[in-house]
Amino acid sequence: MRILVDQDMCATSGQCVLTLPGTFRQREPDGVAEVCVATVPQALHAAMRLAASQCPVAAIRVIESDDGDDECASVDPAPSPAEAERHAAKDQRNPGGHGGTV
Amino acid sequence: MDVQETTAACRDAFAELASPARIHDPYPFMHWLREHDPVHRAASGLFLLSRHADIYWALTATGDAFRAPAPGELARHFPRAATSLSLNLLASTLAMKDQPTHTRLRRLISPDFTMRQIDNLRPSIARIVAARLDGMAPALERGEAVDLHREFALALPMLVLAELFGMPQDDMFGLAAVIDPILKGLGPHASDPQLATADAASARVQAYFGDLIQRKRTDPRHDIVSMLVGAHDDDADTLSDAELISMLWGMLLGGFATTAATIDHAVLAMLAYPEQRHWLQGDAVGVKAFVEEVLRRDSPVMFSATLRIAQRDIELGGVVIPKNADVRVLIAAGNRDPDAFADPDRFDPARFYGTSPGMSTDGKIMLSFGHGIRFCLGAQLARVQLAESLPRIQARFPTLALAEPPTRETSEFLRTFRALPVRLHAQGG
Repeated sequence: MRILVDQDMCATSGQCVLTLPGTFRQREPDGVAEVCVATVPQALHAAMRLAASQCPVAAIRVIESDDGDDECASVDPAPSPAEAERHAAKDQRNPGGHGGTV
Repeated sequence: MDVQETTAACRDAFAELASPARIHDPYPFMHWLREHDPVHRAASGLFLLSRHADIYWALTATGDAFRAPAPGELARHFPRAATSLSLNLLASTLAMKDQPTHTRLRRLISPDFTMRQIDNLRPSIARIVAARLDGMAPALERGEAVDLHREFALALPMLVLAELFGMPQDDMFGLAAVIDPILKGLGPHASDPQLATADAASARVQAYFGDLIQRKRTDPRHDIVSMLVGAHDDDADTLSDAELISMLWGMLLGGFATTAATIDHAVLAMLAYPEQRHWLQGDAVGVKAFVEEVLRRDSPVMFSATLRIAQRDIELGGVVIPKNADVRVLIAAGNRDPDAFADPDRFDPARFYGTSPGMSTDGKIMLSFGHGIRFCLGAQLARVQLAESLPRIQARFPTLALAEPPTRETSEFLRTFRALPVRLHAQGG
C-alpha cells in the first residue's frame, strides 16, 4: 500500500493526524499534511482507507498494490474506493496536480 | 407538535426555523422538512438542503458546482450589502473565498491550528477550566443559582481566544459583548435595525483590531495577531489590510459563540441523560465519544451563514437548483437524518466510540464542523475545550442540576444560549 497526499489540495484540517497520528503529521510552516512513514504496515491498512475516506477534501490517495509492485503504482493509480464513491455522488473537484509525497 | 399543520408545502423554512415557537425544539420541523421537502426553495429564492447525503455532497463539491459570490454580486443576495460593514467583512473572510485565495489565507493561520499546536494548549485550557469552576463553586455551595453559560461556557473560549490573540482578558470580555448583535446581522433575513446594530458593533471590533495591530507591530509577541501582522508587513500581497481585519473578525465570530453553545448543550445532555455520564468518568476515548455525540445531536450552527452560489443548474432529488441560486445547508437536520444515524434523536455516545473524531461507527460524517475546503479551522480547538471541560464539571459538581430552564438566544441560523442557570442538588435531607 502506498499513500499520496495532494498537498495543493490539503485543507489543513488535520483530520488525518487525528485518525492516524503516527502515520501523518502537519508541516510546521503551513499545517499541510504529510506522510511520515515509509511503508504502511498491514495492520493499519483498514485505518488508512478510513483516513482517506474521512479527509474533508479527499486529498489522500491510497494505492493498493501487491508487494514488489510499488514502482509502477504511481503511474496511473486507480481511484480508491473512497474516491469512486465521491464520484458516484457527483462530486466535482478542482483539477489539481497530484504533486504530493509518498 | 404543530408540524402536521405545516401541510404539504412550506413557504419558507428559514422563517419557520427563526420562529419563536420552534426555538426550544426545531427538530420536529427539520424532520418534516427533510422528509417532505429536502431540497427546499424558500419564498426568497434561497435553497435549503436537509438530507445528510445532499449536505455532504454540497460541502465537498468544489469544482464546477458552487462558488463564493463575486464582490459586485453581494448586493444581489443582500440588498444592503454595498453599505453594510458586517456583510462586507463577512464577504472578505476565509469562509467566503474561492480558490486560490482561500488556500493562501488559510495556510497563513493553519500553523497555529495544527493538531500539535492545539495539543500544546491543553495544559493552559485545563488551568482556565479549573479556575472558572473554582470561581463558581462558592456560590453553588451556598445553594445559589449560577449562570453556567456566562460564567463558564462563554468565559472559557473567550479566555482561550484572548491567549491565542495576545489580548488582555478585559479587552476580550469587552469585545464579546458585541458578538451577538453582529451574528444577528448575518442571518439571511436580518432586518434593517438588526443590520444597523451589527454594523455599529462591527465598527467597534474593526477599530479595536486596528489598534491591536498597531500595538503588535511595535511590540510583537508569540500570538496569532503578531504573526499575521508580520505576514502582512512582509508582503501585503500575501495578506492585505482588509483581509487581516476580516480574518481576525471572522475568528472572533466563529470562535466562541459556537463553542459556548456546545458546552451548554453538553451540560444539558449530562443533566438530561445521567445514565450516559459514565462516558465522562473513564478514559479519553469515552470522553471523545460523548463530545462527538453532543456535536452531532445539537449542532450550534443550524444552517450555513456563508453563501454557496450554484455555478450551473444542479439537479438534486428531482429538484433543479438554478444557476446563481444561493444554496444553504441545514447541518442540524443532516446530523439527525436517520439514513445516516439510526434513531437520530437518541443521545447515544456509543455511535462515536473508538472511531476517528467526526466519524460514526457506521462511517458517517458528523457535519457540525462542515466538510470540504472550509472545514472548521477551530474544530480541534473546540474539541479540546470540550474534552478538558466535561469530565471536570462532572467530577467537581456531581449533583449539578438546572435551576431554571435555559434561555436561548434568538437567532436565524445559530442555536446558542443567553443563560443556563444551574445549582447543586441539596444533599441528604
